Amino acid sequence: MTSELAEYIESIRYTSKLQPSNEAEVLGELETHIEDKLQELTDSGLSEEEAVKTCLRQLGSPSLVARQIYEAYSQGSWKQVFMASLPHILFGGLFTLNWWQHAGWLVVVLSLIAGIAVYGWRHGKPTWIFSWLSYSLLPVLAVGILLVYLPKGLSLLAIPVYIALAAWWLIHIVTQTLKKDWLFSSVMLLPMPIIIGWFLAVSPDWKITTTSLERANIMAPWIGLSFLALGLTIAAFIRIRQRWLRIGLLVLSGIITLSLVVHYAYGQINTPMFVGLMLVMSGVFLVPLVLERYFRNRSKSLAKNTRIDNAKTA
Amino acid sequence: MAKRGDLLKSSSHSLLLCLLEQQPMYGYQVIKELEARSEGYFKFKEGTLYPALHRLEKSGLITGSWQTLPNGRQRRYYHITAKGLAKLAQEKTQWHDFLNAVSLILQPGHSVS
Repeated sequence: MTSELAEYIESIRYTSKLQPSNEAEVLGELETHIEDKLQELTDSGLSEEEAVKTCLRQLGSPSLVARQIYEAYSQGSWKQVFMASLPHILFGGLFTLNWWQHAGWLVVVLSLIAGIAVYGWRHGKPTWIFSWLSYSLLPVLAVGILLVYLPKGLSLLAIPVYIALAAWWLIHIVTQTLKKDWLFSSVMLLPMPIIIGWFLAVSPDWKITTTSLERANIMAPWIGLSFLALGLTIAAFIRIRQRWLRIGLLVLSGIITLSLVVHYAYGQINTPMFVGLMLVMSGVFLVPLVLERYFRNRSKSLAKNTRIDNAKTA
Repeated sequence: MAKRGDLLKSSSHSLLLCLLEQQPMYGYQVIKELEARSEGYFKFKEGTLYPALHRLEKSGLITGSWQTLPNGRQRRYYHITAKGLAKLAQEKTQWHDFLNAVSLILQPGHSVS
């Protein structure tokens, strides 16, 4: 296959974001089509170069083909909807039913979330898994909060080590997720500002005190509501086929939910607060997008250098 | 006035089911058949045929299976399912009623049947 056609297939592979289980089959079928087409065109008397040009023109733009492939495969089943929205519903339920103060329920819910996230991660990372991952980061966050209670000398030593390890773990998960699709990284990160926002709302000084527990008790229905709203968002995300609609839904839901957090934390939303939350949400969406582009360009340039080296060796 | 591409887009599923009702086909064959039978009127952007076939497959209206030809090349043949046949029968009735109604207006006194 010529480099133009290989680039065409690669462009479709990159943009259509197929699951590995479908990718080989879908692209293989397209390659078979291209082989048949080139054969027919060269048999009719066209040169190889002309045949490639005609073939590319008649196939249609790679972005159009990739978009249609994405839409054919993006919609998840109702089972996936259930699996994807489950952590948000469990978390929302903990607060709306006021079970969050019962250590038993808290442990059950967190263990269930972490256990199924690990199961999904080890079984091919199905699409529903990405909405679970930030909940799996909660134990990491909890360890960081507990470090505040260490004697001063120890906490000064432990906190920088913790921050480095927690950042490494987060970056590791984000980069792993990016290999599939940057949008899944955003899905994964979406609950993080909401969880941290609610935590800051009840414990502005990062310490859990009696006052913060009282504040959490008052805000519990709204905390629960925000997680149930996330659950609905993820459910709709899994069922929607169009990528732009999926992005729009996540952005809108993120901004509304975070506005709710800020409103109930401070009793108002002024312009600096709104700008701040917009910046946070921009980070949730733009950082994965920029990182994915960076990794893609880097791998393309590495592949190009390898080709040049191989050509020189030959 | 709808463009030819729009007409093809809105009726592509019916056309594909209709072709596959007659015999199992692979993607490239579908394009050739469609073009030949419509005397060149219907031309797909060829790359977009496969998402259309995959959507039908996901809906359970057709199934696809790889077959190896005697020359060693592999092709994915699509077969219509019982659900696909039922859907096609329903769509044929709708098309027939639609064409009949259009015909009655364009050529009073004539109907398609």
